[in-house]
Amino acid sequence: MKKTVPIVLLILVAVGAMSVGSSQIDGFWSVLINPGSNEIVWQIRFPRVMAALIVGAALGIAGLMAQGACNNAVAEPAILGTAAGASFGAVIGIATGLVQVGSLGALACGTAGALLATSITFRLAAFRGALSSFTLIIVGIAVSAIFTSLVGITSAVLNRADARSILFWSLGSLALVTNENLIGIIITTLVGGIVAWSIAPKLDRLSLGDQSAFHLGVNVSRVRFFALISLSLLAGGAVSTVGVIAFIGLAAPHIARFIYGPSHRALTIQSAFVGALIVLVADTLSRTIAQPNELPIGLATALIGAPILIALVTVKNNVWRTQ
Amino acid sequence: MITIDEITIVIDGREIIYDYSEQIPAGSITVIVGPNGCGKSTLLAAIAGDIAPDKGTITIDDLHPILTSPLELSRIRAMAVQNQSFTLGFTVRQIIEMAGDADLVIEQLALGEIVDRLVTTLSGGEAQRVAIAQAIAQNTSVLLLDEPFAAQDIYSRGRIIQLLKELAEEGKTIVVVAHSSESELSWADKVIKQFH
Repeated sequence: MKKTVPIVLLILVAVGAMSVGSSQIDGFWSVLINPGSNEIVWQIRFPRVMAALIVGAALGIAGLMAQGACNNAVAEPAILGTAAGASFGAVIGIATGLVQVGSLGALACGTAGALLATSITFRLAAFRGALSSFTLIIVGIAVSAIFTSLVGITSAVLNRADARSILFWSLGSLALVTNENLIGIIITTLVGGIVAWSIAPKLDRLSLGDQSAFHLGVNVSRVRFFALISLSLLAGGAVSTVGVIAFIGLAAPHIARFIYGPSHRALTIQSAFVGALIVLVADTLSRTIAQPNELPIGLATALIGAPILIALVTVKNNVWRTQ
Repeated sequence: MITIDEITIVIDGREIIYDYSEQIPAGSITVIVGPNGCGKSTLLAAIAGDIAPDKGTITIDDLHPILTSPLELSRIRAMAVQNQSFTLGFTVRQIIEMAGDADLVIEQLALGEIVDRLVTTLSGGEAQRVAIAQAIAQNTSVLLLDEPFAAQDIYSRGRIIQLLKELAEEGKTIVVVAHSSESELSWADKVIKQFH
């Protein structure tokens, strides 16, 4: 019963999200049970709702991988350079004319960029020996800043049409997602999610510190490597499809942890659920509350996620202890 | 049996351990004792496979810790580190079960009252007992404990020592690092004070 509540809630919110928008849909329920019967519902709202669910889930698990692998409460794709690296990869692909925004090629470039940037962060942070959480965050912020600058410079030398398209995408938006775009991100999210699920018990042990995890039989560097692959696939796929959506990677795992406890295997599912729910609600609000205008989704995700996170941290603060 | 053969360990240009050899027999309790910074925790970490000696070799039952996979190594030696930190809010039982069966060691170390508490809420002494319990639950032939009595009261200290004696009688090889203030060492089969 307890396990089915989140699924039912997600389905109800998804159906609600498909029913609202700037156009009134007559006979919504009959349209809903006849896939393809209405262009607005099935060609515009459906891919958008699905993208919100998948991107939210991907970012939720990506945040969990970042926090688990670094054993750090503030680690997330945006802080480790993963998101900026994904943007850079996708923009380079688009700038060189090899790929188009939202295509499978852009997704591959984004994932490669995410992997590159995150690898640089981890490698530099461990340059002087053991991986220090503090160094990791500082280096991650610096690497992120470098890749963000490179994205800006690359965008500046592009022709106007490509630059506008990149600007719109880089602010984070699900408005341009089509059914065809979903295939790539479903693949990256599934593969990234499976990798995350498989290393989850080892991340539980890694929370005791590298030395104690090693004593319990964990190959620490190998687990971090797979967490890095998972993180890059998940965040790279999400960012290259819909742009950078801040805050989900940080908030979703924490909210899930406060509700369900710290076990990483359960959290792989629960972070995905929380992330999907926040992004879906945020996207639905961002396209409906200021019609006909559309708000950047990042504003809504922060407005929804931040108060929940603050409330949980201030009320129940034994879930993550920082030293 | 743990065999330490002419090891030298240099950290940050300083020779912590120099040309040191020792044999630690199976089914015994060995205590490494000495003041802060003398290298006793370094020696324990080398036995555990955490650090590689710059010269010489260490073997546990013919296995070289630094050449053995972490998983295989975790089946022959367990270690409780000093000042174990717990960042995530697992329960005491969950932490012990990461290593193996929890029920027996919970009873042996009288952890029943705190078994459902989150480890993030434990005192230093309680956290240390949980770390020791986890290492014992790993059920390995070699058990390494780094300053297990540092934050324990006399009652808890006695209980831990009694359990270590029972485990040694069962054939386990136990190596304990203790501070030089640890004066009463009659429970140890062997005391190591110098490793130069």
